[in-house]
Amino acid sequence: MLRKADTSATWAIAFSTVFFFIGGLLTTVAPPMIDKTWSKPFENNDPSKGPTGKLVNYTPQQLKGRAIYVREGCWYCHTQQTRTLLSDTIRSGWKGVRSPVSTPDEFVYDYPHMFGTKRTGPDLSRVGGKYDTQWHRTHFRNPRDLVQGSIMPPFPWIVEDKEEFESLVAYIQTLGRAKNWRPDNDYEK
Amino acid sequence: MPEQTSGRVALGAGGTVPAIEHCDTTAKWFMISSVSYFFIVGIIALTIAAKFCWPSLLGSVQYLTYGRLRPLHVNGMLFGWLLPADMALTFFIVPRLCAVKLYSEKLGVATAVLWNIIVLGAVVTLPLGMNQGLEYAELPMGLDILVVIAWLMFSYNIFATIFARKYEAMYVSLWYIMGTLVWTAFVYLTGNFAVLFATGTNQANLNWMYVHNAVGLIFTPVGLAIAYYYIPKSSNTPIYSHRLSMIGFWALAFVYVWTGAHHMIHGPISQWLQTISIAFSVMLLIPVWAAVYNFFATMKGQWHQLRESVPLKFLMSGVVFYLLTCFQGPMHSLRSVNAIVSKTDWIPGHAHMALLGAFSFFAIAGIYFTLPRLFQRKLFSEVLANWSYWFLMIGGLGFFVTLWLGGFWQGWQWNNPAIPFIDTVKALQPIWLVRFFSGVLMFAGIVSFVYNVMATILGQARDEAQTV
Repeated sequence: MLRKADTSATWAIAFSTVFFFIGGLLTTVAPPMIDKTWSKPFENNDPSKGPTGKLVNYTPQQLKGRAIYVREGCWYCHTQQTRTLLSDTIRSGWKGVRSPVSTPDEFVYDYPHMFGTKRTGPDLSRVGGKYDTQWHRTHFRNPRDLVQGSIMPPFPWIVEDKEEFESLVAYIQTLGRAKNWRPDNDYEK
Repeated sequence: MPEQTSGRVALGAGGTVPAIEHCDTTAKWFMISSVSYFFIVGIIALTIAAKFCWPSLLGSVQYLTYGRLRPLHVNGMLFGWLLPADMALTFFIVPRLCAVKLYSEKLGVATAVLWNIIVLGAVVTLPLGMNQGLEYAELPMGLDILVVIAWLMFSYNIFATIFARKYEAMYVSLWYIMGTLVWTAFVYLTGNFAVLFATGTNQANLNWMYVHNAVGLIFTPVGLAIAYYYIPKSSNTPIYSHRLSMIGFWALAFVYVWTGAHHMIHGPISQWLQTISIAFSVMLLIPVWAAVYNFFATMKGQWHQLRESVPLKFLMSGVVFYLLTCFQGPMHSLRSVNAIVSKTDWIPGHAHMALLGAFSFFAIAGIYFTLPRLFQRKLFSEVLANWSYWFLMIGGLGFFVTLWLGGFWQGWQWNNPAIPFIDTVKALQPIWLVRFFSGVLMFAGIVSFVYNVMATILGQARDEAQTV
């Protein structure tokens, strides 16, 4: 039957469209209908089922900080996903405790998503609460003052704008906090 | 556009159609625009490669940070250079394969003007930080809408030409071009509009479907259309097998769209969807090997022609890069390989081999072949054209191979948590330095290509052009 597409443009267009839509619909529209964790915010009160906690929506200030993260393209170099790899859970961990892997229900309020494709700098999926505001102030002004060998660009104009800087830090401190997994909950504010 | 079958020359009927004068104004517009952006965006590319080695470079200018320039590099190369170059060649190929004039040169020129507005819009908005935060879909909404309008204008023009064709049978390039027109529309709508109605993992899944198919169902089919036209044309040899080209085309049409989720292997997305994407990624070997075998078999006994022909050099190197990049792709999707190479510097090595090594090489070959016919002038310099090939080839190989080695090494280091992350950054410094200097070579290739094209158009005939 595909022979027909050899001499008829209408057939060629029709088949190309049908083939595209079979795979297209089955891989984009169907999956969120099958796997409900894609759209249901994380909530767990039972420690026997893994880390407890609840995903809450961003505050206006955190959203403002998130917009700066998007605008500056932080996501080109920092991923936000602790993958199902042992080394990822150790690298995202804290004081010898391994971090839980990232699950779709932790990202329901993320718009746009910030999973990222390239890890030029470290993954940030569990960075929330690891460093305090003063650390971030120094680091954004010039990363190499704190981390020798870092290739992150300096962002002095963010530090100098009090509102922008505080919003961005407020956003960063939320990352990965829906799941309470650290011993004694020792998070920086 | 009703398809008129009357008066058409059937396949094998031995009939011919009278020669026609093609106008080609639209092809010329698109070609000049794309070549200019290739040069301009090449400067951006070098700048961001330099920032890996000298991270404080231009550090006090917020419009020129890595995070602002990278989307300009990616969008500029995709939508400023490669796509309009492919469109220019489409405007050249289609009327010739159909033996009719282009449906409307006026509509075509209007499309070219609109396209330049879009690219200039990107040059202004992206450094200002107007970034939608979705890879390959960074452009602000207003520009997205203009892209859709421009694509509809382009598609209408090409479809109307194909429906008015004089030959009944359609050469394989025409199917690939029609496929590109249809798929680009849906892929672009998914990646730039449907994503806005989703969040989190759901949005990421739509985003990767777009990112993957921007390459797989936009640049691949139009790139293959160009290769299928120019390899037989520039070697003066018929294509090896019509049937094999059909198998390749329909396999591509069916398989490609399933693979988007392989960008999130091991990530926060359903395991079964990852498995589906892996299975279909491996199946991609079918359409790729069908096309590549067809190209190699066409060249059987004709390889000596590469020595004399710059377009053939670019075309056949492009085919080899296409084979390699499409072998890497399925292999990356396997969970064990992915655990090492994913998110590392291997990935830009892979992406550049597809878009520069394969599809840009096809487009450059097409332009070198078409340019003298479009403007009815001899190519300014064959020697310079040869230099542009070797600069791009050696620079490109330096870039790809360095990043693969570096990325693989980086992946091994990441998988050993005893190594602090910052040490894996420091380890890559020499890799990034070699990448930068490979980039300088590639840029030399771009400059010699662009200069050659512009000098040909401006008609500065040199003696060398006649003697070589």
